[in-house]
Amino acid sequence: MILSLLFFTFSFIFYVIAALLYIGNWVFKKRWLGQTATALSYIALFSTSLILIMRAAESGHAPFSNLYESMVLFVWGVNVGYLALEYKHGVKIIGAFVMVIESLAMLSAALLPYRFKSIEPLNPALQNKWHWLVDLLAKVGLEKYAIGWLDFHVFTTFIGYAAFAISFGLSIMYLIKSRAEEKGGTNQAIASLPDSTMLDELGYRAIAWGFPFLAVGIVSGAVWANYAWGTYWSWDPKETWSLITWFVYAAYLHARVTRGWRGKRCAYLSLLGFLAVVFLYWGVSFILPGLHAYA
Amino acid sequence: MTTDTDAWYRRAGSNIWYFFNSLKLTLFLLITLAIVSIIGTVIEQNQQIEAYVRSYGMTWTKVIVYLRLHDMYHASWFTALLILLVFNIIVCTFERFPPKWKAILRHKTDRFDPGLIARLSNNAEFSVNVGVKDVGGRIEKALRSKKFKFMSSESNGEHYFYAWKGVSGRFGSDFIHISLLLILLGSIVGSAIGYKDFKQIYVDGMIKVPQADFALRLDKFWIEYYETGQIRQYNSLLTVVEEGNKEIMTKQIWVNEPLYYKGIRFYQSSYGTAWDRVDTAYVALKKGGKTEADDPVPVKWEELAKLPGSAYSVRVVSYLSDFAYDERTNSVTSLSPEPNNPAIRLEVYKGDKLVSTPWLFLKYPGVFPSIPGVKDDLVFSGYRPLLYSGISINKDPGTNIVWVGAIVMGFGFILAFFVYHRRVWVHVRSTNEGTRVKLGGTINKNQLLFEKEFQHIRDVIEKG
Repeated sequence: MILSLLFFTFSFIFYVIAALLYIGNWVFKKRWLGQTATALSYIALFSTSLILIMRAAESGHAPFSNLYESMVLFVWGVNVGYLALEYKHGVKIIGAFVMVIESLAMLSAALLPYRFKSIEPLNPALQNKWHWLVDLLAKVGLEKYAIGWLDFHVFTTFIGYAAFAISFGLSIMYLIKSRAEEKGGTNQAIASLPDSTMLDELGYRAIAWGFPFLAVGIVSGAVWANYAWGTYWSWDPKETWSLITWFVYAAYLHARVTRGWRGKRCAYLSLLGFLAVVFLYWGVSFILPGLHAYA
Repeated sequence: MTTDTDAWYRRAGSNIWYFFNSLKLTLFLLITLAIVSIIGTVIEQNQQIEAYVRSYGMTWTKVIVYLRLHDMYHASWFTALLILLVFNIIVCTFERFPPKWKAILRHKTDRFDPGLIARLSNNAEFSVNVGVKDVGGRIEKALRSKKFKFMSSESNGEHYFYAWKGVSGRFGSDFIHISLLLILLGSIVGSAIGYKDFKQIYVDGMIKVPQADFALRLDKFWIEYYETGQIRQYNSLLTVVEEGNKEIMTKQIWVNEPLYYKGIRFYQSSYGTAWDRVDTAYVALKKGGKTEADDPVPVKWEELAKLPGSAYSVRVVSYLSDFAYDERTNSVTSLSPEPNNPAIRLEVYKGDKLVSTPWLFLKYPGVFPSIPGVKDDLVFSGYRPLLYSGISINKDPGTNIVWVGAIVMGFGFILAFFVYHRRVWVHVRSTNEGTRVKLGGTINKNQLLFEKEFQHIRDVIEKG
């Protein structure tokens, strides 16, 4: 627990400072502030990776088995997604929004009650490893590092969540920006946001990443459920909510790609989708009973 | 298309087709399915009716039962929504796929109206200070560097270039739609010809597998623990036995590791102790006049065991985990599978002669004399329970169709979201001001990416 906790504390501090630097860069428009913020985001990514690695070393299994670990994975995914976006499009102002989301996510992970954080051995249903991988790794004596459907399922699902979170941030920025554009406001801070067409397009791109990853997460969950319980779909609340979320984003994509929706209506659908994600992730775990009650 | 002279059924058919060929219907169905699905996660599914009465009261329970909200995902109206979505997908695919396919087959043309370039979402017109030939070379270089395929032609000193890549990306959505149909088909096949069952098998016991010509024997059941005492895994050693006691295969199964034989899967699902059998009972003889009983003797289920130092032998013929006597029917039953009041029934022999068949109670030793007419008594002092393994049996030929659907879907996602159909048109001609270039392009998705690519192509043409 000690090392992973240490890296968690470091990461938390890095995210808060990165958020402040990005906001500073946005408000004061100093080049060095933006550059430091980006550098710190990379350091935070490294540190977050170390949390996951240390958890894996401490528990002896991939760090995807409880709510706390999944939060860290979520933060990691959002950071990777954001840095890719910044690298490709070079807009640092988005970082102000994303790093605030990251800091809040880290805070909520830190505030989780102990039972969602403690390292527990895997219960029978969670023990799933790919035979072919075990056999392959056994040749070099590393079979205990084999992964399986659990790890694949959680990882793909959370990459999806992370992409949706980024799209959520972009949609909020879009709504702020497009309102200012309509009113012709003179607020300096809002004026320096990327233009609304770009925010709209980037929000869509994030969903175009999240949607297939969520689908792969759902399908891999079904494959695993078929191994563990003999049924690939049982309308468990988590399963149903994942489908609900998927339906909302499917509606988004059809409205956008086929019917040509742009702008506000898309942004609101994206907000609705993220509400479903939040409920899928937290609401179902805390409120509704079911197979996923442990994570 | 329809006219007044059309027969009514043609008009109706055309209207139905039109109804299903609608993206508004798709959006409506997706959002409706999302919203109604919530109900089934809030109201717990497949509970006893009494449980709903307790939680929601009589009136609401009537509503729940009427609308089948207690088994919502199998209710006819929910199925109807899914069927509407299926027809929606089928009609839209029929309507959109053939024209798209034709357009893709015939898209290659090296002759086009240069005037149309200005209408493309990405377009530029500029002059370059090198000859037409050199500009052509630059265009080819630019297109090659971005891995475009292209064709070109020349007439009257004017050059036409048409370039494309990622055509297959256009078909991603079709693959995804077909995959959804496959997954639904798989689930229909599964519920039509598959079955699910659950059996408890005692250790060394055998069950006949339903709808199959073989049996299953449980050789061993055991639980593994972590050092902390938490359960690590449940394991069963199962043997498939064909007719004529032929042993086909033996496999250790656990949660996440089923046994598969002849299209049927067997899953480790639960375990427990038998309520009507024991592995071994411990019986002690208390000789007449003594206050202490002798050491207990292990008595295997239905096997005769001699009690040492006496003429008695006993056999365990019945066991009930929660013994109860029903006066009305004058019979004994077990109130529950829990060992609340374990009781065994013995056949007691003196020599070869059956002398009594008493019930003995673990918690109430000596309440009834076990052998009539003598002072000797028997004490039921303990037992080794018989474990059973709960095995879920599942035959679902639809599963494979679902997996094929899943693979098609993955393939479709790669095409739909990560392969973009890009097309570029270039027209070059020589004028007084130099070589005039009209450059235009489109992408079906990801405009931001294409803007950069377009800029790169333009830069190469302008600056070499």
